[in-house]
Amino acid sequence: MKSRYGVLAAALLLAVAAAPLHAQGFKPSKPIEFMTHTGPGGGGDVFARGIAAAMEKEGLMPVRMQVVNKTGGGGATAMAYLVNEKKGDTHIIAVFTGLWFTNPIMRKEAKFTMKDLTPVVRLVLEPAMVAVKNDAPYKSLQDFIDAAKQSPGSLKQSAGSLGSRDWIVRQLLMTNTGANWAYISFPGGGERIAALLGGHVNMMVIEPQEAGEHIRAGNLRVIATVSDKRLPAFPDVPTIQEAGFKIPNVPQVRGIVAPPGVPAEVVAYWEDLFARFIKTPSWQKYLADNMFQDGYMRSAELAKFGDQFSDTTREILKAGGVKVAR
Amino acid sequence: MEGFGYLMQGFAVALTPYNLLWCFIGVFLGTVIGVLPGLGPAATIAMLLPLTFKMEPTGAVIMLAGIYYGSKYGGSTTSILLNVPGESASVVTCFDGYQMARRGRAGAALGIAAIASFVAGTFGVVGLMLVAPPLARFALSFSSPEYFSLMCLGLAMVVLLAGKSMIKALLAMLVGLWIAGMGTDLFTSTSRFTFGHAELLDGVDFVVVAIGIFALGEVFGNMEVREGAQMLPAPKGLRNLLPTWRDLKDCRFAFLNGSLVGFVIGVLPGAGSTIASFISYGIEKAVSKHPEKFGTGVVEGVAAPEGANNAETGGAMVPLLTLGIPGSGTTAILLAAFILWGLRPGPLMIQDNPTLFWGLVASMYIGNVMLLILNLPLIPLFAQILRLPTYMLYPFILGISIVGVYSVSGSLFDTWMLAIFGLLGYAMRKLDYPSAPLILGFVLGDIMERALRQSLMMSQGDLTIFVSRPMSATMLFLAVLILLAPLFRKANALRVKAISS
Repeated sequence: MKSRYGVLAAALLLAVAAAPLHAQGFKPSKPIEFMTHTGPGGGGDVFARGIAAAMEKEGLMPVRMQVVNKTGGGGATAMAYLVNEKKGDTHIIAVFTGLWFTNPIMRKEAKFTMKDLTPVVRLVLEPAMVAVKNDAPYKSLQDFIDAAKQSPGSLKQSAGSLGSRDWIVRQLLMTNTGANWAYISFPGGGERIAALLGGHVNMMVIEPQEAGEHIRAGNLRVIATVSDKRLPAFPDVPTIQEAGFKIPNVPQVRGIVAPPGVPAEVVAYWEDLFARFIKTPSWQKYLADNMFQDGYMRSAELAKFGDQFSDTTREILKAGGVKVAR
Repeated sequence: MEGFGYLMQGFAVALTPYNLLWCFIGVFLGTVIGVLPGLGPAATIAMLLPLTFKMEPTGAVIMLAGIYYGSKYGGSTTSILLNVPGESASVVTCFDGYQMARRGRAGAALGIAAIASFVAGTFGVVGLMLVAPPLARFALSFSSPEYFSLMCLGLAMVVLLAGKSMIKALLAMLVGLWIAGMGTDLFTSTSRFTFGHAELLDGVDFVVVAIGIFALGEVFGNMEVREGAQMLPAPKGLRNLLPTWRDLKDCRFAFLNGSLVGFVIGVLPGAGSTIASFISYGIEKAVSKHPEKFGTGVVEGVAAPEGANNAETGGAMVPLLTLGIPGSGTTAILLAAFILWGLRPGPLMIQDNPTLFWGLVASMYIGNVMLLILNLPLIPLFAQILRLPTYMLYPFILGISIVGVYSVSGSLFDTWMLAIFGLLGYAMRKLDYPSAPLILGFVLGDIMERALRQSLMMSQGDLTIFVSRPMSATMLFLAVLILLAPLFRKANALRVKAISS
């Protein structure tokens, strides 16, 4: 049975993939180490295990994917491991997140940047929403900004750490409008929502998945989305840009990288495999369940995207008064 | 009695042979990973998650929840027998549990831990069932100022945990607070005390500190004794294998205290079971008729924290199920699992999915009974480990400590950190510094600092935020009372002396 699926997969590969010639050069011969920088249960870990399970279910790979956790340093330990221990290794790939770009910009302890690794594919864009409590007076983002202008520093946003996506959105909005409000860091998403629901803060940049049930129950109201286009689940809510704020969209990305020194044919193998993978029903369901958007990009595009993303982030960090390490 | 009808329906769901089997598998796995140090319920659930996709959701939820509360039962075993905390929450159980084992009462300690876990675990489920929605509102009214005051209350416990010298206890606590400060400052994203090591950017893992100071410190301390005479006494006779009637009577208050404290703290998403067990231990000592005996192997000192960390699981289910808010790593992965099955924990879950909610509640009652039946007969078996001669026992402890720490992060760096903390534990033992205040400072330091800064950002720098909010003010007042308690006691003693002379 197994081998027949293998033949089938190879046939599909020939039929679907545009560049089958060099893709034929590499095929994994032993289980793939699939690394994430978060511990079991963290965002990257759940993402990696979701991919591994869907790959197995769809029978796309001849070998298993074994999820490995290398925690520490906000991704720095995992990145250093890829560079120092796994250079040229063709049987390991890792999940990257936006943190892999921003952490090395801010921290001198992080010895390596994304440029030291081999970009493979970008997979998803995670949208976010600007939410307020349902009994709050702000019906639109403009209302919130106006209120913030009226009493500078007294409105509060519950949020993650400095340099994260919600911080960047705030910086951009504050520079664009001249408004000013407090940014209160909480380590976990749960505590951020609790602070918003309890009325201890006024606003939060929240993931659609986290907010969904509270919106349905009438506890929260969404006043704008942080995404390129409107979210299917919230067709009436404008994006920040549609709401009249001319700031660039801040994407939250996830994708795959490989260690440095990996041959081009290996990268091509992964590009094609994931190109087929993202079309499978399992993956489509995963995206829909989590309200993620497809953000597939091949290696060369991802490299370009990464440079741009790092440069923009660095500028925003500097403008926000953060000391950058590189 | 609409709820009663639902509960009966829940039992109908949980008692099907299929779901009973998943419940048993869950609590059994939970016990096993609880016994093994390092590997915790969060990691286990994450690894099993892909296997549950093919299961029917109710069975899967019942099994994964079983792993979660089952692990709290197992956590006490190595704390008591080897001074190795099996889970972070059972570090407090080491204080008196290990001392009981050293005095030949390992069986009684394990037994009381199992019974306290059962009583408080069941209490937690009752609480979850009866008061979940109103308690969720209480949890939301609790914010940074309240967390800060709760941490002050916890930190005040240091006067209760101090041994002979208050100065030494305070110094140990300061070291704990310092270690808690290592890593990245959340608010400014700057590094603190990382000594240039990227591995320290996330701070030091609790498991590394607790296992290093307790288990390795103990091993190093005992290596000095050259002749193998220092063997731990294995419990002899049935009387020492199980708690006596008197033990149970002594623990009456501890059961209640552990249940209540554990449940209430469990409901708060920002606290956690380690804090719950510390606070219930402190309360137990504060109200005890013989506080001086705590730390030498009193049975209440095991019952209170073990009860607290089991009642905590019932409490933690409240914000998870009714608000979709996880309070710990384990509940976060449970939440991820719920979402993968298409269930949406949140304000509407009990209404939308009554079968699942009540089935889960009923399975938790059943699971707790299973755990008691499963754990009691294991006690004589586990206690046999103390028959090992020291030259085998100590390398064994060393081995499982190292494997336990490595299994958490997969990094050798943490193993070296473990050695450093082992040496620190050894030095503290030699110099007669108590280790409990260090752990206390380490557990509370992080949350306390964060809550302080969050509060001051909320109030724009106004310190009165801590006393103008009633709950916060009450807890601060209690903290002051605890801090002053030794002075009162001293004054009282002087007065008694004066009167009698």
